[in-house]
This record gives sequence, C-alpha cells and structure tokens, in this order.
Amino acid sequence: MNRGPVQEKKDNNDIIDVNQNDKMLITGHRIYLFSMVIFVVAVLGYLVFSGISYYQVKIEERFFHPDYLRLKPSGIWGHGLGIIGSLCMIAGVATYMIRKRNRKLHKVGVLKHWLEFHIFLCTLGPILVLFHTSFKFGGLVAVSFWSMVAVFISGIIGRFIYIRIPHTIEGRELSLSEVRKMNTGMDESALERRIERLKRMQELFRYWHVAHLPFAIIMLVIMLIHVAVTITFGYNWIF
Amino acid sequence: MIKIVRYYISSFLMVTSIVAWAQLSPGELSTPHASLEGLSNCTKCHTLGSKISNEKCLDCHTEIKVRVNQRKGYHSSAKVYKKSCILCHSEHHGRQFQIIHFDTKTFDHNTTGYTLEGKHTSKHCRDCHTPANIVDQQLKKKKSTYLGLGRECISCHEDYHQKTLNEKCSDCHTYEGFKPASRFNHSKARFTLRGRHSEVDCIKCHEISSLNGKPFQKFKGVKFSSCANCHKDVHNNQFGQKCSDCHVEESFKKVKNSGSFDHNLTNFKLEGMHTGVSCQSCHKGSLTAPVKHARCADCHQDFHEGDFVNRNASYDCDDCHDVNGFKQTSFTRERHNEGSFKLVGAHLMTECSACHYKSLKWRFCRIGRACNDCHEDIHKSYLDSKYYPEANCLNCHSPENWQDINFDHSTTKFPLQGKHKEKSCRSCHQTRATSASEIRIIETAKLIDSATSEDLLQFTGLPSQCMQCHEDNHEGQFTNENVTNCSSCHVPDGWLVSTFNHDNAKFKLDGKHKNIECVKCHPLVEGDVKPYILYKTGKTRCADCH
Repeated sequence: MNRGPVQEKKDNNDIIDVNQNDKMLITGHRIYLFSMVIFVVAVLGYLVFSGISYYQVKIEERFFHPDYLRLKPSGIWGHGLGIIGSLCMIAGVATYMIRKRNRKLHKVGVLKHWLEFHIFLCTLGPILVLFHTSFKFGGLVAVSFWSMVAVFISGIIGRFIYIRIPHTIEGRELSLSEVRKMNTGMDESALERRIERLKRMQELFRYWHVAHLPFAIIMLVIMLIHVAVTITFGYNWIF
Repeated sequence: MIKIVRYYISSFLMVTSIVAWAQLSPGELSTPHASLEGLSNCTKCHTLGSKISNEKCLDCHTEIKVRVNQRKGYHSSAKVYKKSCILCHSEHHGRQFQIIHFDTKTFDHNTTGYTLEGKHTSKHCRDCHTPANIVDQQLKKKKSTYLGLGRECISCHEDYHQKTLNEKCSDCHTYEGFKPASRFNHSKARFTLRGRHSEVDCIKCHEISSLNGKPFQKFKGVKFSSCANCHKDVHNNQFGQKCSDCHVEESFKKVKNSGSFDHNLTNFKLEGMHTGVSCQSCHKGSLTAPVKHARCADCHQDFHEGDFVNRNASYDCDDCHDVNGFKQTSFTRERHNEGSFKLVGAHLMTECSACHYKSLKWRFCRIGRACNDCHEDIHKSYLDSKYYPEANCLNCHSPENWQDINFDHSTTKFPLQGKHKEKSCRSCHQTRATSASEIRIIETAKLIDSATSEDLLQFTGLPSQCMQCHEDNHEGQFTNENVTNCSSCHVPDGWLVSTFNHDNAKFKLDGKHKNIECVKCHPLVEGDVKPYILYKTGKTRCADCH
C-alpha cells in the first residue's frame, strides 16, 4: 500500500530548520487549507439555509412545498447537487489515486496537499449528495448513499490513524527500525511505548484500508446503476 | 494480496445481494397506486427516455380521458388543460401521500364548468358528490370520485313536482333556494294575478296535498274558470256565480257597479223611501261589510227616545211605521183600541196630537188613562168633588159627547121636579166669568171643546130659592121680607099650574065671582120694567070694582 503525505511537524516532534522560504510555503498552505474549509462550510451553510424549510417537511407533504420543484432530487437544484457531488467525489478519488500510484507524477505537488484536496472534494461531494437525496434514504441508491457515508466516516477515522504513523517529508512511512535508529533524546521507556503504539496503528491502518476502498467501490457501482436508471427514464437534468 | 482479492469478491457478492433486495424506486407509491409497486411495473407509468407522459396516465384513467376529450370538467379548464398530470399528481412520496391533493375549501368550482351559485356555495362537496347522485355504474363504485354528476337539477334533486311541470327547474327556481320560486312569473300563466291575488300566498290556491305518498303542491291543472273554484260563495248563490259583476280583485270589500246592483236579491229588499237613499247612508264602511238590518233601529235613530222600550220585546218601528215615510203611520184607531185605552165616542175623532203631543213632544206610552191626564177639570171649584170622585168625569159625562150628561140631580139638595126636569142644566147653572182664573179656564175649555164663555157653569154654591133663577113676574107683590116663596102658588110642573086657592085670600070668591075672568079684577098694569098683572089690588069692597 502507498504511504500518505508528510505528517505535521508538531506531531512527530521532528526538528526541522525553518527558513524564510518555508515560512512562505507554510502560509500559502494555510491559505489553501483555509479556503477549502471556508468553501465547504459556506456551501453547507448555504444549502442548509436555503433548504431547511423544505427538508423539515414530511416526505408525504414535500410535494406541496413551494421549493419542491427546485429541491426535489430530480429538481433543477437537487439533481444538480447529485451530479456535481458525484463528480466531486469521482474527481477527488481519481486525482488522489492517480497521483499516489503513478510514479511519474510523484514530483507533482506534495502528496499531503493532494490528500487534503482529496479530503476537500470527498467532503464537499457527500455534502452535495446528502442534499441531493433531500434526506430521503430509500431504494437501491440508499445502499450507495450509506456506502458513501461509510467511506466518509472511514476517511475521517483513517485520517486520525494516519497522522499517528511517522512519515518522511515526502510522506513515506517510516519503518519500525528507522524509528528506533532516530536519536530523539527521548527516554528509553517512552520511546518503547511509542514504538508499541506505532505497531498497533500500522495494524489498524491495514484493516482500515480494507474498509475505505471497498465501500467507495460499492458506492460508485450503485451510483452508476442509479445514474443509468435515471438517464434511462429520461431524467437528464439540464441536458 | 490474495486475501484482498477474496475480500473484494465477497464485497461484490454482498453488493449484488443488496441490489437484488433493494429496488430502484425512489420512494413508495401512494395507496391508490400501491398495486403498481415493483420493478416490472415502472414502465406502466414511465416512458423510457421521456419521464412521464399524460398518455400513460390517461390510458388507465379513462374516465378523465373521456372528459378531457369532450373538453369538459375541471381537467379541461384553462387552468390544467394539456398540462402534465404529474404537475399536480406526483408520486413516490410514500403510501400516505395524497396524490389528489384537493383543498375543498379553496377549490374554485367554476373551473369545472359548473358554477356554484346561491345555496350551492354553502354546501359541502360530498353533499352533492355522493354515489347516490351518480348514474354511471362504474363511477358509482369509486367512493372518492367527484365525477359523474349531471348538470340537470333533477340529477341530484328530487322532482318535487313529480313530472307535472317541465324539467327545466331554472325557469322558476334560482340557486338561492327552492322557495320561493322567484323566477316564476305568474303573469305568463293562464291565470293572471291581479289585485289582491298578487299578494296572496301561493299555498292559498295551490294547496299542498300528497301524491304517491309524498308531499305535493299542485301547480298545474288548478281550476280557475270560476271564482268559486277557490273562493267560498259567502252569498250561497244568492247573487249567482258571476262574482265579477260586483266584486273586483283589489278587494272583496270593494264593489263595482254598485248602481246596478239589485239590492232586492239580498235579504233586505229596498222599498219605499229606502230606494231613494244613498248606499252610504246604511253601508257606512265597506259595501260588503254586513249591515244589521233585522230591526229598523239597527239603522234609524229612535225618534221616540225609548218611549216604546220595555213595552214589548219585539217592538220595532214597523209596528207603526212603514218604509213610505215616517210621518205616516199604520197605527189605526182599531189598533189603539186593542190597547188598554180604548178610543170611543169623541175620542175616536180626536186628533192624536190632542193627547200625544204635549210640551212640543210626542209621547205615546204611559201618558195616563185618567180623564184629567188630558182634560182640564173645568168643574174644579165649581162642583163639589163628591159628585165626581177621583176626578172621574165619567160619573156625569160620556166619551160620546161632553154635552150628554148623566147626572142624578136627586142626589143634590135640589131634586128636579116638574118643568125643572125639562130644562137644560145651563138654564140654571150658567154663570158669568168673574175672575182671571175663570177666564183662563174658559179659554182652555175653548181649546178643548170649542166652548164659549157661556159654557162655564156653576154647579156648586147655588141657593135653592126660586128667585135665584126665576124672574119675579109679579113685581115683588108677594115678596115678604125679601123672600118670595113662589111655591105657595106655583108647582114645578108648570107656571100656570097653580096651587092658589082664592078662598085663602082676603077676598073669597063666591057667586058670580067664581065665573068671571081673573082679568076683570086683576088687570095688566104698566110696571117699571114691563107690564104685570096686579094681584094685590087692595080692593075688597064692592064699590072698588062696581
């Protein structure tokens, strides 16, 4: 399996010289992160704000809500949210997987940033898809949805396991022996505990991979069926 | 790696099982469409590649299709015609979804092509839209349908008139209510309502009865050729059946042609003076208002002011009067004689007014039956009341004639004898009026009996001496101390009949003296007033004569 991007400095206590150039990079990275967070929060906020009145209505009565034609799953907005959300997720998965697996591309950007972009698109996508469903979770596509939820949650969990594993600056995981060789000036017994934890994390992470990707594939397959059925019945959004 | 591949295979198996279990439907169908659930049914409504088409809806909902094709009903209204069914009737919103979301309170019924007016507007939908009002047997089974009602009133309403009138209810009725039938114009009926007929309640002529066990008001076939078809003939056919000869429709009490009315057809025939009076004289108000007419006093004032009241319960003016005039009377003397005071003698010839008109007033009853109730007692103070107790004149007089006296003079101190019997009362009892009161009595007597002043007779206080009445033809030759006793020589049987005996005189007659005429010795000599026979000659000696 591939390794994730470089973990944050304050977490692994690595002492890295920080020159002026690095400072600018850090600032730029912060802007990059911040703008993505803001965008997601803004989109979420806007969707909640513009649709809360509709989404609170019981399923049987939504048809009579003035926003029905706009926010229903096949509505101009609802359908769009589904399409864009799906595209976000496909793009988020595809770019990250291609970057990570293609060695020719390993110099393109920092893997950690690609992961962050993957997290961004794959957070935004499910949010849009959630609003596409208009909180109606029924039928075949519900399997896709709940798979998506599983992938989403597993992604968050994975994110927190992942940061517990020491990585090279390029993001490659350090082996147990490499960690042992490192002179951190730490207490021997404390180091032993860390190494023990690292072992456990690596174990967990192996299982995590078994969950995250298959759910993503289930989600994708059913989503494709869902899209195919939709198009078959003539629901083409704006096209 | 093999582990991972195995894992993926198991994952896919799981997914396919989920696919098999799950369905493509985005949500449950509503209850009416519940039978269409399932993958195999999608295309019953959906057309692949073009969402939902109206054709598929209408292929099932033929009742709507028929209506739309006929351009009738709500689905043909401008509001929804040719619009997509799904715009209103959405699906996949759960079993409980109201696929026909129908707000009965705000629904504009005009869009159905049948405008609700009047009472219809306040009805609930299901008051009319019930299976009972639906003719079509298929629609009748659909308990929630709003289809199937006819536009004709009788498709919902019972025909109260039971086909006796035409079926176009709106010719007479409005939506404001069955009653009143305000569109009905009675002037278009064969019987035009005029006068009071236009105010009277319909039910007065069009009675409510029962037909086929239901209440029924008859409007057609009501007889009206004669007034008596509806009205009671209060005259009991007394004036015939042509009411309009006298009555008008404005009011029964208003009468036309009163001049030509034959009053003699009534129970009160007009005769005599009654023919000349105006109707209003008796009919103070309406001409048709009943007028009491059994008794004259019902109209006429009692001229006699109750004089005859209580006399007789059935008393009425026509006992004495008739219709030819009040002043004439049918009361005859014969009828008077049927009463308690019979007219006989002079009373028969006396005018009524003599007794019955007193103090400028006619009085007929209780005027008294005693003579002096009418007659003046002219003998009062001239005749002792013992001769006519209680002033009853009939002791002496009779009604036949005042002058016929039936008085027994022997009851007096001076019984009549001889020539006295032959004399009229007046010969002795006549006297002269001397006082004012006597003159008045005489005047009254004149009025009553055409008497003269000489009629006043003195019946009382007369002396019984002869000289009170008789003249002394002897010029006082026999008067002794102012008293002349005639009876010493004369008797009442006659002046010449004498009880004188010459032998009782100073000079007795004998010899030749007995045969010579009296006048030889008693000559007629001249007196102061008239000549008289000298009886007391004073000559007793022969030489006085010889």
